[in-house]
Amino acid sequence: MDVHDLTAAYALDALEPAEAEAYEAHLGQCEDCRAQLAELNESAAALAFGAVAPAPPAHLRESILAAAAAERSNVVPLFRRRFAPRVLAVAAAAAACVAVGFTVAALRPGGTHLVATVVLAADRTATLQVDGLAHAPQGKTYEAWVIPAGGAPRPAGIFTGGGLTLRGKVPAHAVVAVTLERAGGVSAPTTTPLVEART
Amino acid sequence: MAARSEESALAELYDRYGRAAYGLALRVVRDPALAEDAVQEAFLALWNSAARFVPEKSKASTWILTLVHRRAVDAVRREQRRRADSLDHAPEPSVGGVDEDAWLRLQRERVQAALRSLPDAQREALELAYYGGFSQSELAERLGQPIGTIKSRMFAGLSRLRELLGEPGTEVSWTSTI
Repeated sequence: MDVHDLTAAYALDALEPAEAEAYEAHLGQCEDCRAQLAELNESAAALAFGAVAPAPPAHLRESILAAAAAERSNVVPLFRRRFAPRVLAVAAAAAACVAVGFTVAALRPGGTHLVATVVLAADRTATLQVDGLAHAPQGKTYEAWVIPAGGAPRPAGIFTGGGLTLRGKVPAHAVVAVTLERAGGVSAPTTTPLVEART
Repeated sequence: MAARSEESALAELYDRYGRAAYGLALRVVRDPALAEDAVQEAFLALWNSAARFVPEKSKASTWILTLVHRRAVDAVRREQRRRADSLDHAPEPSVGGVDEDAWLRLQRERVQAALRSLPDAQREALELAYYGGFSQSELAERLGQPIGTIKSRMFAGLSRLRELLGEPGTEVSWTSTI
């Protein structure tokens, strides 16, 4: 079985669990498949609009909003205190890796779009790819951070553009963030994250 | 308080795509209670995965509908509820009339026209997989075809749909503020 061939079936949720797992592991290493999956996911999602859509029961909306309000309060505060609320991260669209990670685009103050894709493998190792990131300026480097829920940011590797395999494992509910730091990296972030995403 | 605007953003997202999401879930699971569960789980997964939203060009719908679909398929496989033989009979409530949202109706007509223009074998593979919740192995068995053939049909069908449907219009996207 060539795992490359599974992209369409994965986009349609037509893989058996073991096949889906193998494909997700492969995604972390295959840029072509990630790109193709992003496209095919869009086509698959378009099929959703082919179904007749009766109005959902009115209580569903309230139920979702109430559940969200209850859950949110447990998740955010620690992280919000840590960094200034300046950076927007747009969790978007392509959703190439919904099951294994997430796709997040950041809108920077200058208007540049960044799209960060984190692919989590089953063993909790992860790769981070940031598209749209300019090469780091002279004397600077990008540094990735893994921020466990309730914990301090842990340095997860430096890079000058593109992406990297994150050092260490990414615990459940951790946040992955990227900052611009001085060359060589630092042990704790000193700047506002350019992009962040919650796993 | 930021949480309040995040909640109103979630409400806005629901108002925009909740109906399409519910329609999709219902089509797959064929049970209103299971459909509600799938939609709720998907919206909460999205909520927990990052985000606040602002109007912008992006594809929030792909994200939410992908989440909904996955949960619906999981549910239908768990419940063994799928009945593909009724796919042809459009088991949903009758369409048309004043109840249906005009924008959704246009979308549906567009997608259904695109589906109709596909070769029968490709359309069948896409419908059984996406709406019926069948895996590729189940499809291969059901249709008496090698699995490679099923994969090719799915790939060709989705690729062709992409061409037929072209670039989607402007949507809203999600942002997360740290």
